[in-house]
Amino acid sequence: MMDATLLVYALYLAAIYSLMAIGISLLWSSVGMVNMAHGATFAIAGYAAYVASDWMVPLVKAWSTGSEATVVLAVLVVLVGMAAGALFGIVIYLVAFLPIHDKPNFAVRSLIVTLALNLATVQALLWSFGPQQKALPRVFGSGRIDLFGVPVRADQGITIVTTVALLSLVLLWLRYSRRGLEIRAVMQNSEGAALCGISTRWTALPVMTLTGALAGLAAVLLSQSIFVNPTAGTTPLIKGLTIALLGGLGSVAGAVLGAILIGFLEAATGAIPFLGQRYVLVLQFAFIVLVLLIRPRGIGGLLDETRE
Amino acid sequence: MAGTPVISRVNVGRRPDQFTLKPEGGHTWRRWRPPLMRRHWLAWRGSYNPKSLRRERRLADKRPLWWTLGLGGLLVATPFMSDQFVNIAAIFCIFSAINVIWTLIVGAAGIFSLATMAVVGLSGYAAAAANVYFGVPWPLMIPIGAVVGLLFGLLLALPSTRLDGLYYALLTLGIAEICRVAISQIKALAPSNSSINNVDSFIPAGWYLQRPGLLIGFVAAFVLLLAALLVFRLINSERLGLLLQSAREDEAFSEAIGIDYRRARWWVFVLASSALGTIGAFYAMFYRSISLAVFSLDQVLLLFAMIVIGGLGRSEGAVLGTAIVVLIDKGLIGLGPLRIILVTFIMIVVALTTRDGLTGVKAQFRAFRNRKKSERRAAQTEKGGEVMPEEATEIADKQLVYRRLFDKRLRDGLKRTITPELIAEHRTKPLGQHSDALDRLLNYFRREEMPDKYAILRVGPLKSCSYRVMALSGSPGHPPRQVDDKLYPTLNEAYHAVFLLRVNDLLAS
Amino acid sequence: MSTDLLRVHGLSAGYGPLRVLHDIDFSISAGERLAIVGLNGHGKTTLFRAIMQLVGWQRGSVVFDGKEIGGTRSLGEGRYTPGIVRLGIAMTPQGDAIFPGLTVREHLDCGAHARSAWRDRARRRNQVYQLFPQLDALQDALVGKLSGGERRMVSIGRALMSDARLYLIDEPTLGLAPKVSHRVIEALANIPLEGKAMVIAEQNVALLSGVVSRMIGMHAGRLRGEVGHVGLA
Repeated sequence: MMDATLLVYALYLAAIYSLMAIGISLLWSSVGMVNMAHGATFAIAGYAAYVASDWMVPLVKAWSTGSEATVVLAVLVVLVGMAAGALFGIVIYLVAFLPIHDKPNFAVRSLIVTLALNLATVQALLWSFGPQQKALPRVFGSGRIDLFGVPVRADQGITIVTTVALLSLVLLWLRYSRRGLEIRAVMQNSEGAALCGISTRWTALPVMTLTGALAGLAAVLLSQSIFVNPTAGTTPLIKGLTIALLGGLGSVAGAVLGAILIGFLEAATGAIPFLGQRYVLVLQFAFIVLVLLIRPRGIGGLLDETRE
Repeated sequence: MAGTPVISRVNVGRRPDQFTLKPEGGHTWRRWRPPLMRRHWLAWRGSYNPKSLRRERRLADKRPLWWTLGLGGLLVATPFMSDQFVNIAAIFCIFSAINVIWTLIVGAAGIFSLATMAVVGLSGYAAAAANVYFGVPWPLMIPIGAVVGLLFGLLLALPSTRLDGLYYALLTLGIAEICRVAISQIKALAPSNSSINNVDSFIPAGWYLQRPGLLIGFVAAFVLLLAALLVFRLINSERLGLLLQSAREDEAFSEAIGIDYRRARWWVFVLASSALGTIGAFYAMFYRSISLAVFSLDQVLLLFAMIVIGGLGRSEGAVLGTAIVVLIDKGLIGLGPLRIILVTFIMIVVALTTRDGLTGVKAQFRAFRNRKKSERRAAQTEKGGEVMPEEATEIADKQLVYRRLFDKRLRDGLKRTITPELIAEHRTKPLGQHSDALDRLLNYFRREEMPDKYAILRVGPLKSCSYRVMALSGSPGHPPRQVDDKLYPTLNEAYHAVFLLRVNDLLAS
Repeated sequence: MSTDLLRVHGLSAGYGPLRVLHDIDFSISAGERLAIVGLNGHGKTTLFRAIMQLVGWQRGSVVFDGKEIGGTRSLGEGRYTPGIVRLGIAMTPQGDAIFPGLTVREHLDCGAHARSAWRDRARRRNQVYQLFPQLDALQDALVGKLSGGERRMVSIGRALMSDARLYLIDEPTLGLAPKVSHRVIEALANIPLEGKAMVIAEQNVALLSGVVSRMIGMHAGRLRGEVGHVGLA
């Protein structure tokens, strides 16, 4: 039976997955590149947040021990995570996009380079931090908030709120700013955009920085319920890729919708007694396969114009 | 004498230097065929060299040589190496076999499937389970693996036609995960953390992990690799592969000429899956066990790295990429996680610099060099002289091409000889003995074509006439036209006027 | 000639090994409206695309406003096109190259790529609306849902938003009904050209009389025949 806690959990999952899925979908439709290094961005942001929180917690605790200290700490950690994600996004831009974006066979080659970056980063993290999982301090507090009579876990609630707020900001920026206009133009017709003086090169940079920051945010938010470890990025990467496909590559609305669907599915599967956590992945994939077989271009084909 | 002639460097095409055998003319040429085959091992082509007047033999295709040297060298050298090396060599052979079959799926059929290890693992599990839990003797594990692979391939082939390349790739990525979870659920395997051990094998239990066992394992893996290469050859170079090649280049066209490429792709996929199933069964026998690690995502991605480094679509690429990565991954274990970083570094460099992986470097370099040459040629030449290769193919009579080139060179040479002294020489003596330079110039002028050739018209009665310059029309029935309305009192002046006009035309051309 | 805004000399271009244009030679000076006429498939579009470096060259030179925009380097993949657009050449391609999900206003804003043009964009938009009154009512409509004629107007308006000094208009009346074609050509005739020039590639010669001052024919990738001072202007 679906109750409010489960609903919140589903929304929480949906929020995190949508952050990853939108990043991949946006990048593919504006730049034509599948970013397999998104998982690495996730992991690096997690570690950056861990390291930052390590030396920030004593400082903040020395300044104040009240609830505003928690808020400040939370904001700082989130910012660090997002900044680390954005920086890694720039690295991916420099290595995987810039040298080959106008050469033949770009899609496959960028796939391979990002794959290699992913592998390399995971190994580098393994090497420097070791394989043990690290726990991020509970920067969002571990209490429960009462929302309309429903007990909501603080971290889940904050995740949902933050994600919704940030995604709305991103979507507003895409819609109303000049850069956002350029990005949308490149997404829909790259030759037309070139004729307007918009070069794919310079549009890809903000897109990759932005998607990196989103992955960083997802990492920090998710690290409250799972531990930080070098391979932490793999599952979110796979989930992000499949949800982006489900929603239709290039459709932001589709990615969000897909994330919501998958989030609910996951929460529901976990709750059903004879299925449990172990069948979550299988069911998700089965669902995605089914949808893709019916609509090979994903849900988003219904919603707005997408790039091939 | 005109200056030193310009040597033409028109190189349309280039034949690289070839190594040739120079046999004695009197000997009969007997070529050896491997038994039962109609092919030869090396493709020698005999030809006659008109310059040296000798019979020559060229090797048209050097690849069988590289294959033989590489694989033969491996086979011969390995028994003398350390245990660790024998193990690495065996693993190389198994992974190469997997990659060669995978190249068949991705290259020939063009289906971007990442479910390779899923097929291998599932078949391996089925074969191992048959052996351990149902007592099937180990030689029958191979057909079981093949059948399971076939069935799984049939299942996977269904969505491949519906879904786009990328979507299908990610779908297959998830299949391995599903397999892993599914197998870990099967209660019968739970006690031994979902791995099957003590599988019967061609390696006797007592010799496992001992040197004799290692050697047997290596030889068997080598045979597996040869079998995989044979399968690749049989599918890729025979009917199915040739049908698919046309589809790779232009699907709509191949369908229009009646090639059912979808069916061909389906066949290749299913056969390749069956082959992978066999490899899975072999895998279980080689390790005498099989565990869930076979489904790991990292393993698939590493295999993908191997075929990409080598070059997608070619069996040489698969083997080369596997060799590089296995050597680094398993041979340099001392480096720890650094070796994966090294592998990824190579992946990045290869992907950034080459278009088709390492085995495509030669073609890429040659295309690059040709482009640079044509650019340089385009920048150098002026209009009217050399004919570009693209133009030359449009002109039917090649003598025209040579004529234009010759004409241009001649004109350039003559232009250099025109000096005021030459013109003065002509003014003083239009007819009669001239210097060598003037002679050549006049010869050139007199050889011109009829249309628009200058002529002199006598105006008036013979005793008191003047002369006017005309231009011939060149076609019968059309009178010459007047060039200008100047009248020259003497013939010599008229000759000189014609000469000046012709010189001006030459300088202007 | 030093007053030439654009001078093309000996241009040979094509797709890969296929050569479509052979030794194109023409020039246009400021204030001029030039038409290149010819049937489909004879190279008019390729000529424009070669100038914008969307198509690779084999040889030749293009000098715009005294500056050489070389093309032998480019493989024609549009990498250098934004640079050429910033130099001051704007092209309305055949088929419009519109963004289906953007509104008319956003389309026009896309055209104003220079910083000064961007700041000035409201005024320029109004100028475009004066030229094409129908677009004024459609400001917030998605261009993907507009009719062919309206799309063409958006595409031309987009080119006008920038500080371009040379407009290359490719087949402005392609696929349009006669009345709409007339309107489009009339609008093109009304665009002021002080210090600017316009080249129109068109099949329909009759529509162009009175609009352009010069017409050059194009056949099988070569320019043949030139008619000057056609009608007025």
